[in-house]
This record gives sequence, structure tokens and C-alpha cells, in this order.
Amino acid sequence: MLKVEKRMETPTYLKVVIPIVSVLVAILFSSLILLITGENALAALNTIFAGSLINWQEVLVNGVSLMIIGIGIAIAFKMVIWNIGAAGQMMMGMIFAAGVALFLHVWIPPALLLPAMFIAAIIGGGLWALISGGAKAVWNVNEVITSLLLNYVALYILQFLVNGPWKGVKSMGFPQTDPFPEAARIPTIFPTGRLHYGLLIAIIVVIVFYFLLNKSRWGYEIRVIGEGRNVARYGGMSLAKNIFIAMFASGALAGLAGAIQVSALEGRLSPHMNTDIGYTAIIVVWLSRLHPLVIGIVSVFMGALLYAETSLPAAGIPTEIAKLMQGLILFFVIAGDFFSRYKVKMVKE
Amino acid sequence: MEQYLVEMKNIRKVFPGGVVANDKVNLSIMKGEIHALLGENGAGKSTLMNILTGLYRQDGGELFIRDEKIEGKYGPKEAIAKGIGMVHQNFRLVKPFTVAENMVLGNRKTIIYDEKSIVSKIEEISEKFKLQISPKAKIWQLSIGEQQRVEIIKMLYKGAEILIMDEPTAVLTPQEVKSLFDILKGMTKEGLSIIFITHKMNEVLTYADRITVLRGGFAIKTLNASDTNESELADLMVGRQLDTKRMIDDGVNIGDVVLKLENVGAMNDKGLPALKDVSFEIKGGEILGVAGVAGNGQKELSEVITGLRSVKKGSVIFKGDNITKESVRKIIDRNIAFIPEDRHGMGLANNLPATDNAILKMYTKKEYGRFLLNKKKIDEATTKMVNDFEIKIPNINCNVKLMSGGNLQKLILARETFENPELIIAVYPIRGLDVGATDYVHRKLAEERRKGKAILLISEDLEEIYKMTDKVAVLFDGQIMDVLETKGADIKKLGLLMAGIKEEVDTNA
Amino acid sequence: MKKILWLGLALFLMASFSLVGCQTGDSDKFKVGVIYIGEPGDAGWTYAHDQGLKAAIKAIGEDKVELVVQQNVKEDQSSSQAMEALINQGCKAIFATSYGYMDYIVDLAAKHPDVYFFHCSGYKTADNLSTYFGKIEQARYLTGITAGLMTKSNKIGYVAAMPIPEVVRGINGFTLGVRSVNQSATVKVVWTNTWYDPQVEKDAAIGLLKDGCDVIAQHQDTAGPQIAAQDAGKYSVGYNSDMKSFAPKANLTSAIWNWEVYYEAAIKSAMDGSFASAQYFEGLDKGVVAATKLNTDIIKDTTIQSKVDAAEAKIKGGYNIFTGPIKDNTGKEVIPAGKSATDTELLSMMYFVEGVDGVIPK
Repeated sequence: MLKVEKRMETPTYLKVVIPIVSVLVAILFSSLILLITGENALAALNTIFAGSLINWQEVLVNGVSLMIIGIGIAIAFKMVIWNIGAAGQMMMGMIFAAGVALFLHVWIPPALLLPAMFIAAIIGGGLWALISGGAKAVWNVNEVITSLLLNYVALYILQFLVNGPWKGVKSMGFPQTDPFPEAARIPTIFPTGRLHYGLLIAIIVVIVFYFLLNKSRWGYEIRVIGEGRNVARYGGMSLAKNIFIAMFASGALAGLAGAIQVSALEGRLSPHMNTDIGYTAIIVVWLSRLHPLVIGIVSVFMGALLYAETSLPAAGIPTEIAKLMQGLILFFVIAGDFFSRYKVKMVKE
Repeated sequence: MEQYLVEMKNIRKVFPGGVVANDKVNLSIMKGEIHALLGENGAGKSTLMNILTGLYRQDGGELFIRDEKIEGKYGPKEAIAKGIGMVHQNFRLVKPFTVAENMVLGNRKTIIYDEKSIVSKIEEISEKFKLQISPKAKIWQLSIGEQQRVEIIKMLYKGAEILIMDEPTAVLTPQEVKSLFDILKGMTKEGLSIIFITHKMNEVLTYADRITVLRGGFAIKTLNASDTNESELADLMVGRQLDTKRMIDDGVNIGDVVLKLENVGAMNDKGLPALKDVSFEIKGGEILGVAGVAGNGQKELSEVITGLRSVKKGSVIFKGDNITKESVRKIIDRNIAFIPEDRHGMGLANNLPATDNAILKMYTKKEYGRFLLNKKKIDEATTKMVNDFEIKIPNINCNVKLMSGGNLQKLILARETFENPELIIAVYPIRGLDVGATDYVHRKLAEERRKGKAILLISEDLEEIYKMTDKVAVLFDGQIMDVLETKGADIKKLGLLMAGIKEEVDTNA
Repeated sequence: MKKILWLGLALFLMASFSLVGCQTGDSDKFKVGVIYIGEPGDAGWTYAHDQGLKAAIKAIGEDKVELVVQQNVKEDQSSSQAMEALINQGCKAIFATSYGYMDYIVDLAAKHPDVYFFHCSGYKTADNLSTYFGKIEQARYLTGITAGLMTKSNKIGYVAAMPIPEVVRGINGFTLGVRSVNQSATVKVVWTNTWYDPQVEKDAAIGLLKDGCDVIAQHQDTAGPQIAAQDAGKYSVGYNSDMKSFAPKANLTSAIWNWEVYYEAAIKSAMDGSFASAQYFEGLDKGVVAATKLNTDIIKDTTIQSKVDAAEAKIKGGYNIFTGPIKDNTGKEVIPAGKSATDTELLSMMYFVEGVDGVIPK
């Protein structure tokens, strides 16, 4: 009979071996499926891995948003506050940043326009998250439901704005705003490719929050609260205050990611702003076990997986197979995580 | 041989780790009686009942139900098939569902939910025993007393003839208690038997037919309720030969009043009054023991002093300052230490390293870092605690969940005394500790007393009270029954006070 | 400690990226990439483009050109990634078949001067970026004539997609066709705000039918409105591709795209380097749009086909269907007598002409 036991502590070698084996098993499985369906397995793998390397700019473009949002989600998750509203908070960040870019840019010197947009996005995303954070802190309303539903509200606000009051005069009747002024665009790092200076912001966010979460007094409080409400109260910490701060920070980072995305990649507001990455970031955070530096690395890995979704069809592999492979890799990495948390033993009855 | 429905003979149960929960326990239940199981917390009442309901398997002894010896597979399902049902202290009901729906939950035989027949069966049971429950009511709409009656219906619905009630009155108001026992009495007239677990002596005498007293895992005696009295029961419950040798010297260093409570009232988590007009004071160099059966307001008492629970009435005064409404943090900063009852859930964060746990109270002090924490200072402080208190731990960055109970308590003790506190609130500080660790904790507390600190020691162990305290306050039902000088206090009197009986007892009783 | 281990994992991943080896350049075929808003399926906008591209490649030679497709590409920055991936796979000509890709293409075109870009329905060009579109309203005008002659209730329903100029222009062209033969008929418009939602679009048509409309025209990619008309025993007019097979008892005719006319020339220009940035905006005369032959199972009156043919000849001869006097449906004159709408005016048209029963939501 098989018996499953929780590990008290994961042996260090397993922490390295398990993820590697997981990815390898996933690749093996994907290859099998590709062989069965008659596709060229080697070509597909080549596209995923070599393709990611050659187009590393696109991989990092995906990684930027994942990193910043991931850190934000990790702050909330560390406190056992399940903020799954990153997509909506990101959208509010986009809306606030776009508001500054479109309507306030005449009063702001060009050099300060981007910082102003970022601040607006931080406030917008943060306040949006505070709706569920506040309801949680004051009335103990389940934040999973509120933060998820607010994603839809944010989407409707966005659609209302681009269909109505913010519809651009130059948009020829299409539901989108006018393009942002040039000063409101984050420049790309290289003349070719889309990689932009948002990457620097993402790296700074990862490092700063690594110190904040792991070394600061604030991070300490978050750790203790995450361990248990009673311990935290016993240690004299204010739960409500910390929920407020953590939720604001969580939403603010999602908002910042939104501002970076809309500024660097979109340049205007339209009804579909690709905020699904707000959900993908949850997986990143989970795989990283909430560790900021690991989030930075796993974001790049996930960025490559996301890129594979578009690069595989471009290489002639059907989209369905591409998504299947992506799913398999994720599945095995998460399944592998089980083995680092639990021990499976053969036991005689 | 008399007609017994249930007979438990020489039951023995040992838990992993060698804790003997039951040994040589005999219990017999007659048809149509209300049988009380009386004993302090940890006397082995619940273990015994869990064996009867098939949750545990005894390690020794025999169990007979209707003269049939129980052998082979005997789990909860078999128990209910034999007519044995238990109503737990925490109800096992699904709140958004109706009474009728709750009847069939977990019943694998029910494939089709035939509401009509379920409803009519509930109505039949409800009418027969005057339970007054509407089958279509949703659980959340019902009061606690009504929910308890739903649990009773659930057991009767499953065909229980022997109903075990685990502390049924703990959650009820006095009126509800009365009506519950009226119902139970009515059920015995129909031939059902009731076993109820309690530590409240007055209920036992008022409502039970027979009483079995358990103490320290043994069944001490079974008596007829009509042949006994409170004094005898108190004796049986606590009356072992106590070691009353004192570990502390007589008051040497008594100082000013450190803590004073004036008519303090507070509610428990369920919103019922838990503390009623509690008043006492503790002076420097003095240990005040709080004796009493657990669940009489001890937890709440410790929490009102440390700011974790709001005070509804009265005031808490620390060295002349009114701290009634102060935050936990402010109270910590006044240098009041607190050794909580719940080591894992409250005193320590299990998945964090010893260093994080060591600074739980003092992390706001600026020497440990204003913004970024000063890792070096923290490590120094933790190392000092580990060395001073001889805490066994692989290294200070190790998660505390890997430490033993004794070492955990030492770590809490080390942290709580690190800043040289003025007042220490210790709740059941030796619970679950081995002899060595117990002795260590006691020596440390005695040492603090010698330094002139005030200590409130909440205990469930009279030996500890005699050993460690200068004065003893007896807490019963949220009230301080009396405060006595520990030295020379009459143990029988203490026992009665703990049972809520205040009148003078003459020595012949 | 943990950190080091995770870093090790990252290094492993990096290593595995590079281990798998280099790109496999499998052929010397000229690679053409296309991004679609949806999936080709068997009818609709994307289907028409897919058919056009395949036909064009067949004409040039399948041994010379290879088509690489990205389906379901959203009109946000993820479209840039889809196009980057195509370029990364060696595509030298990129076609983008929806308006919303415009700004992303403009950015990309600047970054990849060695790649030719073709954007359908947009208006921004660059040295290596052309736009292309067709005057489908001309074909709609012809189908409008059929509808105007076949209606008995004089109420024609139009299931409209999104309130954007392209759709508005189509409604107006259709209505002008209707009114050219039947002054008392009106065209009632409902908006679905969808491009592809069979149920919503079918339901919208059912609403119009209940309202007394007996011919249903549409703009979306599904045949839902056609089927609704057939279920109700009424008539319908298709769009994008010939929709007769979906509702043989209802479909009178369809306004269709013949993209291969453009695609063949465009791909050739990219292959031989004769590419010149341009804004392609042609109609019936070049054959990029057309009205299918009338469904003779339903229409026995042959004079209708000849009236349609006559109008077609007139348009091919240079007649602009948006020639004044034209009033909008509030009675205001929008194109004075003797004047015709310019291409620029057409591309930003946001009013309904007289005879349309409906409003453009703001």
C-alpha cells in the first residue's frame, strides 16, 4: 500500500532535483504526444527552447509584467490574503496612467510624465485593491470573491471609458482612446525588438521587495501574520492596518505593471488590454513559494512558456498542441511540487 | 446479573508517546437511566466515550453491548448500528442546509433524497420527545439550543438508543439547560439511556440517576445520585493525596501592588459572559494562583489583562495606570509578559525560525532596526536566550516546529523574561511538559518572584498551586469564589470552591 | 541556501534552452505570415482571407511560398508578440487582417525594415507597410437592390456588429441599394457588439423577424442570422463568403470578398522586391468584392438579376454610390447634389443615411 506523509522539512537536494525532473518528464510526455500526432517533436522542442533564446526579448517582455504583479500577489499571499484581483488592479493602473497621459500631459513637463503616470497607476491599482482589502479588514468579507468580481467591474469601467467619454477624436469611431503623447511611452532598450526599460523597474521591484519582505520590520509583521492571526495579535500587531497596507501594496504593484504595459506596449487604451497575465502571475507566485527572488526567475521561465504559445504556431505546430505542451509542463512542475512537500512510502499492510 | 445495556470492563487506552488515558475503567449503563460521567479535564472521559462510539480501539479490557461481546471490526458505523450515538460539543451540522437535509449527510445508503419520508420521520421524533424542531428550517436560523436538539434528532433518526452528550450544557443558557434535561428525562421514560459528560457538579446532582467519577484515567466510583452529595463528589474528583510541599519561600520581598482588577466583566468568543465582576490584586514578589476547572473564564482572564480581549465592565490597573482600553502593543511595551495557554497557535509561529520567534515582543524596539531588521542584534539576543535557558535547537535559524514541547516553552519563557518584565501572566505553563521541563519552568518562575516580580499563575493542577503560589483565587463560572492564603489552605474547601460551592463546610462532612 | 538552489534551477533551465540546439531552417520557400482575429472555420471574415491567401499561393506555386498562420490573435500588444514570432520564424511578408492591429504593426514595421507588412482595413502606412481594403459597400449596394425588390413588408432587418465606420458604411451602402429600387422600404439596425457569437447574432435576427422584417442582412462572421431567417420562412442576405449553403431556402445572395485578387499581387511584390507602399482600396471593378449570383431556387423573377447586373455595370463604370444628394436619417443633408464622398470620408463615416431605422451608439 502507498502511504503519503507530509515532510517536516524538504531535503535540500530534492529542491533542485524535483523541478528539473518535472520539466524533463513534461518534455518527455510532450514529445510522446507530438510523436503520436505525427508532428516533428524535435522541431517543436527546438522552437520552445531555442526559440525562446533567440527571441529572448519577447520572453522578457512577458516576464516584466509577471515579475511586478507576482511580487504584489506574494505580499498578499504571505499574509494569507488571497488577492486574485491582479487583472482588475492592473486594468485600473492602466486607466489611471492613461488618464494622466491623455488629459494631464499638458500641465506636466515631459520628463515627469512617466513618473506621474506610474504614481497615478500605483494609486489607482492600490485603491482598487483596497476595496476588497478594506471589506476584509473591517467586515471580514471573503477577499477571493470580492477581488475576483472587481476584475469584471474594472473591465466594464474600461469598456465604458473607451466607448464613451475617453473615445479618441482620431480613433475614427473605434472604441479606443487617442494615442499617448511620445513622452508617455516607455522607450525600448534596443532598436529592434520590443524589450523596454520596464525591465529595469521590474528588477528594482524584485530586489527592493526582497529586502522589504525578508529583511524589514514590515516584512516581519507580514510573515508573522501569515503564520496565524492569533500569534500576530499576541505579538501586538494590528491586523486591520496590515491588511490595508498589504492589499494596497499588492494592488499598487499590479497597477504599476498595468501602467508599464500600457505605456511601453500599447500606447493607448482599448477595450482588450491583455490582463490575463494577472492570473498567470498567481501560478508564478505559487511555484516560487512566495520568495521574491525566485519569483524573478520563475517569471522568466513562465514568460518563455507564454511565448511558446505564439512561437509554436509560427513554427507550424498546431495551436492546440502548443497549449497542450504548455499545460503539461506546468502540470508536471506543480505535480513535482507535491513530492517536495510530501513523502510517498511503500508500506506493508 | 443485572440487565445492563452497555458494560465496559477494565478498559485501558494508551496513546502513542505512552500517555495512559484510561486504565482499569469500569462503566455500566442501564436501560432508561441518565448516567453522568464526572471528572476534571483530562480525566479520561472523552477517551472512554470515543472507545464506546468506535472512534478509538481500547488496548485492554472488554466491551459488551446488550450482553454481546464486541470483537472484530467496530467503528462509528458499527456503533450507530448498535444504537450508540454521540452528540459532540461542537455540532457537526451544515449550516446552509435544512434540518431534513442534515439527517442524510454522510449516509452513503441515501442515494435518493426522499424529503417527504425524512420530514415525516423527523416530525414523528420531534413530537414524541417534544423537541419542537421544524424539519424544513435552515440550521443557521436556529439558536444554539435548537441546533443541539437537531443533533439529538440526528442520532435518534439513525436509531440511537444510547445517547452520549459531550458537555451538553457548556454552550447553553440556564433556561436552555433546564429544558434540555426535561427533554432527556422524557427520553429515558421511553426507554432510552443517556450518558452525559460534564465537570459541573450541580448538574450531576440535579439531573443524573447515577454518577461515575473519573480521575486521572481511572473510574474511581459509581454512585447513585440520591446517595451522595457535593462534598463527596468534590473529594472523589480532586481528592487524591496531594503533594503540598512548597517550592517557594514565604513572602520575602513583597512590594507594591502591581496589578489590580476591579469588577472586570468580559464575554467569551461566543458572546456569552465569561468573566463576572472579577476583582483581585497582585503585589510585587508575589505569585497569585488561579485555580479552577478549565473553561470557567481562565483564558478570558489572561486575555483581558494583556489587551487581547475587550473589557465590557470594570478596570484593569497596572502600577496605578488604567490600562483597560490599551492596545496589546502598548501593554507589551509596559513590560507585561504573557505565557499563553496555546503554545503553537499563539505563543509561537511554528513555521518561522527561532530568531523570528525570539523577537516577537521586542521587534519594535529600535535597537533591532528601525526599518530593516538588525540581523546581528537579533541573532545575539536569540543566542543569549538559547544559552541562558538551555534550549535544545540545531541552530537559531531552525523552524520552531521541530522543537519539543519543553524547549518551546523554554523559548517562550526566555523571550517573555528577556526584557525583565514587571508582571508575568502564565497560563497552564506546565501543560504537556515532562517532569524535568516542569521543574525548570517552576524554578524560573520562582526566580522571577524572588526578583520582586508579580506573577499571575493560572493552573489546573492543585499541586502546582500549593507548590508555587502565595495566594490562590478560585475561579468558577467567571467569578472569583474566594482568595485564600495558599499556605495551609484546606484542600477540601478548594475542591468545593472549584465546584462552585461557597458555604462553609464543617469538617465532619 | 534555498536561493542558491533556485538559482541552480534557473541555470539548468537556461542550459536546457541552449542544449536543444540551433534553428532548423527547413526550406528556401518564401515564408508569408498572417495573423487572424479568429479561426478560418467554414464561413466569415477570416475564412474569406484564408481562402484568398491559399488561392494566391496556389497561383504563385506552393513550392515557392509557404503560409504560416497565427489564429485567434487579440487586438492588443499580444499581437506584436505573434508577429515577432512569425518574423523570428523567417517570415518576410506579414499580413494582419484586422483593424485593431494597426498601431502594433506601425511599431513593428519601424523595427523590421527588411520585412514587408500588409494591414487590412487600417489607414497608417510606412515604407514597408501597405494597407488594403475593399469597397464592400458596393457589393452590399447590389445585395440591397435584391433585398429591396424581395421585401413585402418593406421592413428589412440588419444585424450589425460594432459601431465603427466600416460597419456603418456597409449599412449605408446596403440601404442606398434598397432605396434605389424601393423608396418605401426601411432598414432596421440592431447592434450585437460581437464579431463572432452564433447565439447572440441569431437571437438578434429573431428579434428583427418578430418585429416584422422579412429580409435579414448581417455583418458578423457566423451564419446565425441566415439560419434564423430560414427558420422563420423569410429571406436573408449573406456577408464575407457565400452563405447559401447554410440557409439554402432563405439566402438570396451574399456580399463577398475575393481577397486572392489582392493577395497574389501583394505576395509577388514582396518576393521580387517590387513592393511599394500603398493604400489599396478597390471595389467591384477590380473584383476584390462581389455579390454572388442570385439564388434561383427562391428568386424566379429574372428581371431582378438583370437589375442587379445593370447596377454592377454602372458601378464598374465609375459610379460612386455615395453621390449626392444624400441626407442622413435625421433629415440633414450630408452630401450635397453633384458631390461624391471621398475615400477619406468613407473611411470615417459615422452617420446613417435616410432609410435606416437605428442609431449609432456614442
